[in-house]
Amino acid sequence: MILLKLAAKSIWNRKVSLSLAMISIAISILLLLGVDKIRKETKDNFINTISQTDLIVGARSGSVNLLLYSVFRIGNATHNLSYQSYQEIAAMPRVKWTIPISLGDSHRGFRVMGTNQDYFRYYRYSNQKPLAFKQGQQFTDLYDAVIGYEVAKQLNYQLGQEVIIAHGLVSTAFSLHDDKPFKVVGILQQTGTPVDHTIHVSLQGIEAIHVDWQTGTRSAISISAEKARTMDLQPKTITAFMLGLERKIDTFRLQRQINQYRAEPLMAILPGATLAELWQMIGQFEKVLMLISGFVLVAGLIGLLTTLLTTINERRREMAILRTVGAHGYHIGLLFMLEAIFIVAGGCGLGVVLFYIVQIMLQSWLSASYGLYLTISLLDTQQWMILGAAILFGMLLSLLPAWLAYRYSLQDGLMVKN
Amino acid sequence: MTAIHLHDVHFRWSPQANDILHIPELHIPRGELVFIQGHSGSGKTTLLNLIAGIHRPQQGKVQVLETDLTTLSATKRDQFRAQHLGIIFQQFNLLPYLSLLENVQLSCQFSTKRKAKVGDLLKASLRLLDELQIARSMLHKSVNTLSVGQQQRVAVARALIGQPEIIIADEPTSSLDNDNRQRFLDLLFSEVKQQDSTLIFVSHDAALSTHFSTVIKLNELNLAETISS
Repeated sequence: MILLKLAAKSIWNRKVSLSLAMISIAISILLLLGVDKIRKETKDNFINTISQTDLIVGARSGSVNLLLYSVFRIGNATHNLSYQSYQEIAAMPRVKWTIPISLGDSHRGFRVMGTNQDYFRYYRYSNQKPLAFKQGQQFTDLYDAVIGYEVAKQLNYQLGQEVIIAHGLVSTAFSLHDDKPFKVVGILQQTGTPVDHTIHVSLQGIEAIHVDWQTGTRSAISISAEKARTMDLQPKTITAFMLGLERKIDTFRLQRQINQYRAEPLMAILPGATLAELWQMIGQFEKVLMLISGFVLVAGLIGLLTTLLTTINERRREMAILRTVGAHGYHIGLLFMLEAIFIVAGGCGLGVVLFYIVQIMLQSWLSASYGLYLTISLLDTQQWMILGAAILFGMLLSLLPAWLAYRYSLQDGLMVKN
Repeated sequence: MTAIHLHDVHFRWSPQANDILHIPELHIPRGELVFIQGHSGSGKTTLLNLIAGIHRPQQGKVQVLETDLTTLSATKRDQFRAQHLGIIFQQFNLLPYLSLLENVQLSCQFSTKRKAKVGDLLKASLRLLDELQIARSMLHKSVNTLSVGQQQRVAVARALIGQPEIIIADEPTSSLDNDNRQRFLDLLFSEVKQQDSTLIFVSHDAALSTHFSTVIKLNELNLAETISS
């Protein structure tokens, strides 16, 4: 069709000003797609902080609270649960595995978590990935510690590093367990989850550093590290535990059973559901970001509109020429509309290309610095809808110059306006 | 055979009460070379817009090649113009973003009938451009590199391609110097005669009228009180 050819040639003739308009649209498309990608990846990453765990059990409180302290190491448990209850539930027939968690101490701002070897065996994150060691191995000795990737990186710790655990979350000189130092025996690989920020020791280790403590302060009789080894270090309480079932179908039954546990008030939560609930609360920023990006696109399109409108008067002669060779007013309108659509579509195309280039460029950096692994995939339905909406909106805006051109061309006829 | 016949034509811009054009009778036979003399504001452009079917008069008949344009829809009139008319302006006749050759062929892009009549479009364009003394080396160049005289000759080629029955030229020589003007007129006349088209040449310059068989003074033809702009 002749109009397509005319529109293309006319755009090419004004390539400098129009390519600027196109680039600004491309950048806003890049921004929109980028924000959309990041929010989906962050959400995925967040929801997959923990995977394959069917239930998390703790003392009865709020479900989000339990999730926050057990998975994200944020906040504190209001109560502990007894080791006996844990053992009873762990021994239930449908339970396949459990991971006990004992929290409360810290080391230079990083949380210390007491657990057992099952942690390294059963803990899964982000689509069933197991924990892997960057260096060293899991703890075997009472005073062994395994540190997360970020702990090692930020504190610059190597294997064999001595770690002194502080009582509670604030390290003051008075509350250090400095009589019983731990030794780093393993450094975990990056996971992009709170595991990176955790120092893992055995439950018995946690017990050992507290044998000579009473209600938060050091008691008068101190017990040496070596002497503690000879004592019974079976913990009396733990903070929470994770469990996996033989069959997923039993999840709700076991959850109800735990919630109605007679010996003490317990609560079991489904981590996936609670993570989604938590995301609902903290995920609002993504909407704001999308909204802002949307406005950037609108600004880009209005920029294009301005470019088209400023030239419309100069182009009245061109309209008269087209009218003499038999073009109707609607041909002229359509020509202007086609030009706008070409540029918006071109901007979208360029934006998508930029989007992939940026992803390829940032992929390794994002994964190294934030543990956020970008999966480069084809555009999804929502992203196609963003592009469709941009073109549709561009078409709507192009109606204005098109209508003006139509009006002028009918009004001017063969009269050449200078 | 009548090329153009206007009868009792009244035209005004709709909100205004006064006619800007009132022509009781105008008759131009086919094959004539007609000079219409009129200063600016005499209703010249309006008359051309009526003949070209851009505007429709409020009253009266505008017959072009025995077709009453006032009975046709706007789209039909556009098609009619594409098929039967060739139009040349004073200057800036060419689209800056098309090559010289594409500008010539533009006339055939909005009318399949005119295109069909041309036959081999490239051959016809080249023949016209040769006769109008445009060098072959310029065919694919941007029209912005052409001189004004060359531009006007390309405009003639565009108006003439497909042998339209009527050629309208609105002050086509006023931007040309004396030498170029004579050369332009000679070429225009010889092409128009060769194609047996009717030429309607509009100008304020009475000196040009000597070249024409028929001379019409617009201020005698148009009975409306014209507002000079």
